[in-house]
Amino acid sequence: MRQRTLFLVLVFLLIASLPACRKKSVEAKTDPLLRAYDVETDPSDPQRVVPLNYQQAQGKRVFYRNCVWCHADATPAGPSNRSNLTPAPPLMNDGETFNSLSDEFLENTITLGGSAMGKSAMMPPWGRTLTHDEIVAVIAYIRATAQPPYQPPARPGLRYSAK
Amino acid sequence: MSSKDEEMGKISHGMRLVFALSSVMFVAVLAVSPVKDLRREWKQSKRGYVRYAQTRFDTRRLLADYHPEIDQIWIPEMNVVDRCTTCHQGITEASLADPSVPQPFRSHPPIPHHVRDWGCSVCHRGQGAATEAAEAHETTLAWEQPLLPMRYIQASCGVCHRDTRPEAPLLNRGRQLLARLNCVGCHSLSGIERPTMLGPDLTNIGTKVRREWLYKWLKEPRTMVDSSGNVTVNGYESGQPRMPQFRLNEQELRDLSAYLSSLQGRPVEPYKFDPRVVAAWEKKPDLVDQGEMRFRQMFCSTCHSLAVTRAGETKLIGGDIGPELTKIGSKVNADWLAAWLRNPQAYLPLSEMPRYQWSDEDLYKVVHYITTKLTDPDLLSDVPALESPTPDEVRTGHRLFLEKGCAGCHSVQGISPQKDFGPELSNLGGKNVSQLEFGNSTIPRNLISYIQAKITDPLSVNRAARMPQYHLEEPDLAAITTALLSMTGTPSSAGLSKLIVPAPRPEFRPAGAFGELYQRYRCYACHRFNGFGSNLAPDLSFEGSRAQRKWIVEFLKNPQTLRPTLTFRMPQFNMTDREAGDIADYLAMVLQSPNVNLESVNSKEFTPQMAVLGKELYDVKYQCQACHTIGSSGGYVGPNLSNVGNWMNPAWIEEWLRHSQALVPGTIEPRRELTNQEVTALTAYLLTLRQAGQPKSAASTVAAAGGQ
Repeated sequence: MRQRTLFLVLVFLLIASLPACRKKSVEAKTDPLLRAYDVETDPSDPQRVVPLNYQQAQGKRVFYRNCVWCHADATPAGPSNRSNLTPAPPLMNDGETFNSLSDEFLENTITLGGSAMGKSAMMPPWGRTLTHDEIVAVIAYIRATAQPPYQPPARPGLRYSAK
Repeated sequence: MSSKDEEMGKISHGMRLVFALSSVMFVAVLAVSPVKDLRREWKQSKRGYVRYAQTRFDTRRLLADYHPEIDQIWIPEMNVVDRCTTCHQGITEASLADPSVPQPFRSHPPIPHHVRDWGCSVCHRGQGAATEAAEAHETTLAWEQPLLPMRYIQASCGVCHRDTRPEAPLLNRGRQLLARLNCVGCHSLSGIERPTMLGPDLTNIGTKVRREWLYKWLKEPRTMVDSSGNVTVNGYESGQPRMPQFRLNEQELRDLSAYLSSLQGRPVEPYKFDPRVVAAWEKKPDLVDQGEMRFRQMFCSTCHSLAVTRAGETKLIGGDIGPELTKIGSKVNADWLAAWLRNPQAYLPLSEMPRYQWSDEDLYKVVHYITTKLTDPDLLSDVPALESPTPDEVRTGHRLFLEKGCAGCHSVQGISPQKDFGPELSNLGGKNVSQLEFGNSTIPRNLISYIQAKITDPLSVNRAARMPQYHLEEPDLAAITTALLSMTGTPSSAGLSKLIVPAPRPEFRPAGAFGELYQRYRCYACHRFNGFGSNLAPDLSFEGSRAQRKWIVEFLKNPQTLRPTLTFRMPQFNMTDREAGDIADYLAMVLQSPNVNLESVNSKEFTPQMAVLGKELYDVKYQCQACHTIGSSGGYVGPNLSNVGNWMNPAWIEEWLRHSQALVPGTIEPRRELTNQEVTALTAYLLTLRQAGQPKSAASTVAAAGGQ
């Protein structure tokens, strides 16, 4: 009788402890490339790879179609048009120039052109060529690649007071 | 009543203890379960969100529709039951977009599909119905779909969108690679049609190359490298050949090379050069240099690349439409080369190589250049001595040709490709791990590792694999993996009927004199006509509206680059006046845009005052010089406008200024709001830009630069 009791108690304990056997979850892979929709290499630092989300990746696509010709030192086709222009357009990852400008200011400059915002008229208006979503995506892209890195304003309200 | 029954009624002391113990345990377990329930992962996450929201300035808005229970997105028609938003509670809150917001509360970056309408697992895979993070995200015994890593997420776009979406570049690249690497030679893949020609037709390969070269190529299509290890003899883009590596042993190499070198259906007629040309050039010391110059002038590099060593670094320079030619002189025999250059379609009817108009002199020079300069004496030095093939070897080689699946890509007269040589891949992307065979390999047990192992090292997952080995670089491997993951086999939207990679069939087949020239010069290998053809060079569907006939004739006879940033140039075909005229006639008469009425603008009505105003608009108000060059100053982005008055039709210019994207979709010229007066003034100014006499010929530019 004693043995049977002991046996029953053991079986019960065994069953009760089964849920604890669940496999511990494995650490997720840390490869940063696997966690990004797309990536961009920093043109001024080839070691630095910037992960891009969907919106930023779309901005990258628009940038390489429409903007790269003047806002980068090298283009997919080779030479850049930047050296032909005075004043020289800022590079797309030029955080010192862009970080202090609000999203709205950049959006207006791209949409309406440089002359509408008191900048060089060589910057054409893109509002009738690109969609609003594409323009917002380009801004998201240059924010992601900015060097020094871009810090968004703490409160959305502040976005309207900068410059 | 027997004594046994009495005994059963009595409960022994031991049994009482058991009952007492188990009752206490039962009550204890019962008491624990509500506590456990309260501490469940998703409930903690719910409470965590409230705590986090309270530390923020927009607490009220974040908690406006907070519910403490499980949140579920249920879309029966797509079989979606996603409870992901139970923990990912801020997924639609724009203010939680910043990377400093802790997961799982961060919002989703903006995408075209709203989370509430589509759910999460449609794109991210994983188990939507799970209520624990580990079960939702990773593979468990019962639930097999892990989350798709973001690197391959574009595969999910391809599950429904069978057409090419610019938003998913990696997927598009992968689909192109599937077509380009001839995967359909052995596997059936939904949406990718079998092209008419995969690898080269080998019916007459024995007349083109020697058995030694075949041996070396079969052994290792990648060892066609020089000492620096960079250059292949036949390659695509990164210098990698399209042909994968088959694992053949010494005997198989001998047999297969014997069989292939015995394929000599039609012997090559050696071309009889004019004896005067041979006599004049044979002894000239600069014969090879002249040939090289001609090779450059004809812009062979638009389609073919050559390895160039500069400052110790070897790079391939040139296009990838045709094979790489660095050591072609050690590969093909000279008689074959001359015959090929004169008429490529006689050897390969489907070749995209244009039939050039050769003078005997040029042909002689270029053939000499290729067979003396583009060579490598050491190329075949490590090939063992091979005698002429024995009938036995040829027979075994023929069998091997069929067994190894060579016929999947290469046609040989009299051999038809075996159907379904490799497994069907149309539903590979939706397979669970239990459906995959991993063999003895030690790779992680998931679909992505399986696909990549299968491509780069098939033997690692299957000892008996017939599949050859591909050497792909990381971005290409990721692209191909993405495209394969998108092939889940499930029927989707109406877009399914569309082909993923349309077959290169000449749908635009003009007739008459132009049709003949169009085929001869293979215009569609670079240009696009009414949606058919390649997009390497400008779309010519509306060329007749754009360019003046006289200019087209001049251009065809002496093509020059119109955009300084372009690296690919139109080859010099050496057209006759009559041919150029026939092409220009057709372009000007037939290839017209419905949006441009050439009669609507009469350039005689333009006044000098208009042109003055136009120049002011060009220089000051719109600053077109940012992108366009006139004379020697201006930008590199748009075409050079120095000769636009002789080049374009006035009606085209006006329409272009009004709405360029309506004429050429996707063109980057920004659309501006111009008044009618401004359009007329700018057109009047542009028409005054004419270059007197012959424009500087491209040929002489290259000749000048040829010595570098």
